[in-house]
Amino acid sequence: MSAVHRPSDETLAAFVAGQLDEGLALVVACHVEADPASRQRLRDLQAVQGALLDAADPVAMASGPRDVRAAGQGSRSPASAPSAPEAGMPQVLRPYGLGPWRSIGIKVAMRRVVVPDAEARVFMLRAGPGIALPHHKHSGLEWATILSGAYEHEYGRYAAGDFDEADSSHVHTPRVDPVEGCTCIVAMTGNVLFQGWLGRLLQPLVRL
Amino acid sequence: MVAAHALTVDDMREVRAAAQGGRFFALFDPNALIAAIARSGDRAAFAELFDHFAPRVKGLLMRGGASAELAEEIAQETLLAVWRKAALFDPTRASASTWIATIARNLRIDIARRETRSRLSQVYEILDEEPPEQPDATLSGAERDARVRAAMTQLSADQYRVVELAFLEGFSHQDVASRLAIPLGTVKSRLRLALSHLRGRLEDLR
Repeated sequence: MSAVHRPSDETLAAFVAGQLDEGLALVVACHVEADPASRQRLRDLQAVQGALLDAADPVAMASGPRDVRAAGQGSRSPASAPSAPEAGMPQVLRPYGLGPWRSIGIKVAMRRVVVPDAEARVFMLRAGPGIALPHHKHSGLEWATILSGAYEHEYGRYAAGDFDEADSSHVHTPRVDPVEGCTCIVAMTGNVLFQGWLGRLLQPLVRL
Repeated sequence: MVAAHALTVDDMREVRAAAQGGRFFALFDPNALIAAIARSGDRAAFAELFDHFAPRVKGLLMRGGASAELAEEIAQETLLAVWRKAALFDPTRASASTWIATIARNLRIDIARRETRSRLSQVYEILDEEPPEQPDATLSGAERDARVRAAMTQLSADQYRVVELAFLEGFSHQDVASRLAIPLGTVKSRLRLALSHLRGRLEDLR
């Protein structure tokens, strides 16, 4: 699987630097996991971070190394102990709770991805084959990674692994693939998030 | 570099002892030091790594706006994690500096967002477990780092500064713009240019 649409360099740099909101970062991570070329770029940008570390002016430590005798070695931190991933779900979702799929219209369902304290709202959206989603616009960012199937809008066709990086300047009229349908994970920011087609679908179900 | 790999940490210590009093530039080989920690829990190797990296991690974080106390704590935790995870370090995937910078980034997120139950550092760890694709087309960690460094020396001073700030914690593009007193659009275009330059240099060579 190789993506056609990828995050911009600036977005990936902000991801590597740990500057993105956790919800937005998670959607980027879903793409990176699925796309070898973005993984490659991620490693390049991590190397930039390494180079900056080497170039950093040292600041003297107030105290020397802690006593490491008691620290133990060789094990991963328990925090990263994975819960069993749900089949077909991106691995990067392992640390997060997922709500149940809920139908929000004819052939459209959503499930929440619980990212506590993220500014962006994160959810998965599943639309059946051939659904035409009404014209919509939003005030903040709307980033999506396609998990399966595809949709198509003014900016091209977005299939599994693709990353759709839209801001408020974009106006969408997505058409879901007539055969495969589409499942994607979406993060949205902004104050007037729930306008347009998603708003009408989600408003009764999602309380801000 | 080849010669450095042949030296054990003990050799290096002897050389240093022999050179005491004179001007001596020790061959600092972090890969060998990390390997010594993994192999035998070598605390002298750890002390040497600490002396080199802890002040740099602290310096980098302070440059990014962290307080001295916070930067010190993260630097301590980072080096402690290097001790714990030494056996997991794979020099074919990343240089020691890159690996340590990544650990520092994850800890910074954990510590800065401690109150907010962030799980982002776990997301980064999961991604790092993913095998790199196309092994034949993949640069080794050391090669990649060397090329990234070479490409970074070709950035203009302005571009370098923007890249540096963009990678430091807490600096949104807007922050970078205020800090450098240049318009947001200029920050974005400089950063885009700098990153596409880096990308171009790496892809040429790949």
